[in-house]
Amino acid sequence: MNIEQDGREPTGGRYPSRFRRSGLKARHLHAHIVVVAWLALALAAATAQQTLPVARWLAIHLFLLGAATTAIVVWSEHFAVALLHARLPDERWSDARLAGVNLAVAGVLIGVWADRPVLTGAACALLVTAVAAHLVVLVRMGRGALGGRLAPVVGFYRAAAVALIVGAALGGLLATGHAGARNYTGLRLAHVHVTLLGWIGLPVLGTLFMLWPTVLGVRMAERTTKVAPWALALTGGGLLTTVVALAAGWRWAAVAGVGLYVAGVGVAVELFARTVRRRSPVSAAAAWMLGAAAGWLLAGTVADGAILAARQPAEAQEGVGSLVPVLLVGFVAQVLIGALTYLLPVVLASGPKERAALRAVLERGWAVRVVTLNAGVALLALPLPDPAGAAGMVSAAAAGAAFLVLTASVLVRGAHRAGEGGSSRRPVLLGTAAGAVLTVLAVLVANSGGDTSGPAVAADAGSGGSSAARTVDVTLSGMRVRPSRIEVTRGTTLRLEVTNKDAQRHDLKVEDGPATPLLARGDDHTLDLGPVTEDREAWCTLPGHRAAGMTLDIVVKGSTGEDADAHDGHASLADSAGLDLSGEFSGGWRPRDADLAPAPGGTVHKAELRAAHTTVEVAPGVRQQMWTFGGTAPGPTLRGKVGDVFEITLVNDDQGMGHGIDFHAGSLAPDRPMRTIQPGERLVYRFRAERAGAWLYHCSTAPMLQHIGNGMYGAVVIDPPGLKQVDREYVLVSSELYLGTPGSTAQVTKMREGTPDAWAFNGVAAQYAKRPLTAKAGERARFWVVAAGPGDGIAFHVVGTVFDTVYKEGAHLLKPDQPGGAQVLDLAPAQGGFVETTFPEPGHYSFVDHDMRHAESGAHGTVEVSE
Amino acid sequence: MDTVGLWSLVRFAHVAGAALWVGGQLALSLVILPLARRMLEPEARDRFTARAGRRFGILTGAVFLPVQLATGWAMAWHKGVTWASLAEPGYGRTLATKLALFVLVMLAAAGHGIAHSKGRTEMARTLAVVSLVGSLGVVLLATALPAT
Repeated sequence: MNIEQDGREPTGGRYPSRFRRSGLKARHLHAHIVVVAWLALALAAATAQQTLPVARWLAIHLFLLGAATTAIVVWSEHFAVALLHARLPDERWSDARLAGVNLAVAGVLIGVWADRPVLTGAACALLVTAVAAHLVVLVRMGRGALGGRLAPVVGFYRAAAVALIVGAALGGLLATGHAGARNYTGLRLAHVHVTLLGWIGLPVLGTLFMLWPTVLGVRMAERTTKVAPWALALTGGGLLTTVVALAAGWRWAAVAGVGLYVAGVGVAVELFARTVRRRSPVSAAAAWMLGAAAGWLLAGTVADGAILAARQPAEAQEGVGSLVPVLLVGFVAQVLIGALTYLLPVVLASGPKERAALRAVLERGWAVRVVTLNAGVALLALPLPDPAGAAGMVSAAAAGAAFLVLTASVLVRGAHRAGEGGSSRRPVLLGTAAGAVLTVLAVLVANSGGDTSGPAVAADAGSGGSSAARTVDVTLSGMRVRPSRIEVTRGTTLRLEVTNKDAQRHDLKVEDGPATPLLARGDDHTLDLGPVTEDREAWCTLPGHRAAGMTLDIVVKGSTGEDADAHDGHASLADSAGLDLSGEFSGGWRPRDADLAPAPGGTVHKAELRAAHTTVEVAPGVRQQMWTFGGTAPGPTLRGKVGDVFEITLVNDDQGMGHGIDFHAGSLAPDRPMRTIQPGERLVYRFRAERAGAWLYHCSTAPMLQHIGNGMYGAVVIDPPGLKQVDREYVLVSSELYLGTPGSTAQVTKMREGTPDAWAFNGVAAQYAKRPLTAKAGERARFWVVAAGPGDGIAFHVVGTVFDTVYKEGAHLLKPDQPGGAQVLDLAPAQGGFVETTFPEPGHYSFVDHDMRHAESGAHGTVEVSE
Repeated sequence: MDTVGLWSLVRFAHVAGAALWVGGQLALSLVILPLARRMLEPEARDRFTARAGRRFGILTGAVFLPVQLATGWAMAWHKGVTWASLAEPGYGRTLATKLALFVLVMLAAAGHGIAHSKGRTEMARTLAVVSLVGSLGVVLLATALPAT
């Protein structure tokens, strides 16, 4: 990059005469139109703070990164040429650097605004590149240049460029989430210090060495050439120490660094104070503003050091954060206004008369503006109750806006004179700018508060008939949202009570939904999400916080199953128990036959069980993928007599995982028959049932909680010798139902916590309530029951009957000839048995798991007894 | 609604009205008036621009404005928009902002007429451009609203 090879004849004359060449003047004019545009946008974002989640960040960065950076790049190059008596850098390359900076800034702003970390990262990289190019120009300019008395001031500009490179890199890490939650606080503090005190503070301080006497209209103090390098060494060294210390978490080193910086500023301010003479300055307005700005820088850095010394980094963030508006308005904005008040007439006017005229415009009502601005900053700085801060902001903004209007009018005059026949363009330019500002403001307002899909969608969801409502307390702290996951049944009306317990400010925005305003520590805000019908995410919108892990998942229970949505009409309806068990099964659904056939003849029973994935309707309208033996959950019921041999061939048709089988009815070494077989393999499991009972069989592959919980279980009934024949025999295998993708974290969590979505007899919740078992009055019925779990047992009861026979775990607890009766067959997981009763008269006899939580959530059915 | 029905016609009138009004402004500002300024003598030019502006103003007041207001109100009613819902983020707020911007555009257009009649040419042209750019902003916000 041969920046200085411009091919133009250096005039060799004094800088101002070269500067007045119309090309350079037009460039400054254009650059300042860009600065004014950034400032206007910053003001717009600042006024929308209450409605826009990232407005505060946007306002600060539109101002510092947009307006101040553009001004610093332009002026530091301009002054470096003047101070070093160097040749003008190539105009096209200068334009390219400035365009690069502005493009990068726009990219950063849009990237953070639209939450596009890739764009933000790329824009940060571009910014680093453009500023590095600027630094190279500043360094090369010094080589071989004549150098003036104030050449050391250029060192401030070089140090500032380095600071912006560091600041942009840190900002990129923070905004794209690469800083991580642990390092976030330190890196953010480092970012704030290096940009505010480095990129903005250093060049301003350096420029004041020259600008201050100029504005005052006095000769520069002799000591300046000695003081300036000292001030740079102290501020630059102090800043470097501070930034490294903050990033590394060394609190006291950071305080020492800020102390050095304060000493550097103090040295400079002392010199400035001595420069003041009792003569009327060239521009009193500029002098007062620059003086006040330097005062705020000193006060702000002293306060900064005190805050860092007094508090831990996490708490210090809040304090330093509250200093930012003070430095921003009191120091940066005021310096910008003061400097432009003096410099704009110098660069825009072509003669002393015009310069005086322009200055008169820019100084209109300056005393009132200075007082308003500084009173506003004082209100912002003092720890006063809320209205005072807002009033301070408004009064500072009013002063800033008044200056913007004056600057715009001066720039328009300049544009008016800059081009021949320019008068016809002025209304177009003004009109377009005003229209564009109106439109941008309108879009900002329209986009505020999050977007919802409109009333039509809300109405649809609301008419779903759901009634459940839930309020969840959500806290924000330590770069985390707690809880980080909320599970709700479909259609639940969800309210989030959001409280910020962190030292720094956060907000919470729900995807396609409402957002909280920025919450300071202890603030809370309620978010009404309305009925939740699909999974949603919520996150903190502050740059980098989402990427660092400040997210909240709102998960609709049962929505993860691939088929859950296929029957949305039913599945979307929810009651407080989770599923709508009063809904209808889909057409073509058949209940699992509960009738138990007598044991087949012969003493060897052969069967083949294939392990596979099967999707079945497990509750009205809810389809769920189950892991099955023989295509059903529970698997086929096997029946025989004591001494019979069972020869079961297990075939693993499951493509994804291994399975095994464990028959509780047999007694053998588990090593081989219960081993896990891989997809496609076969296994013959042979056992002799030497003892009677109602037995469980289940998958023997770990994790058994999941294999049983997803349906791999069944019953083996071995008749006790002399078992009497009855009119009806039923088999009921009780189990829990866990919806969701089998093996998913959500489903396994429910299994571990023992919070199933439903309980079921023979695998399907409420199936015998919809399709009752049938019997006749006076008939004797036997209910074989096996508790498959995986976690819960059962208290089996038939409403309206008493049991005269209870057989549990291989023994009769009650026989018909005994006087006692039984009401419940109680079984722990994996136990089995049977009860017998006689239906006295026609009617509908409910059978339930008498644990009413289970009964109400699917473990119930009816025996319809007819004449 | 998948077929061409009554509400399609209402929407058509609204969209067509907006397109014709913004298009008319564009044609006037970018084609007709610059040509008139260049080709006509000063006196004829002033008369021409005054007449052209007036005629477009009458057209706006008599046709475009009533059609936009009536069809816009009808669609809002059809969609069940209430005063309260205008403040809600999302659809309501976008619509409210669009209406507010529309009012500002109309004020700018009216201001253009007044400034022109008082002979303040630059002010009049500035307001004309504000109105034009603002109209495009209204169209932008309109496209952000979901279909009725």
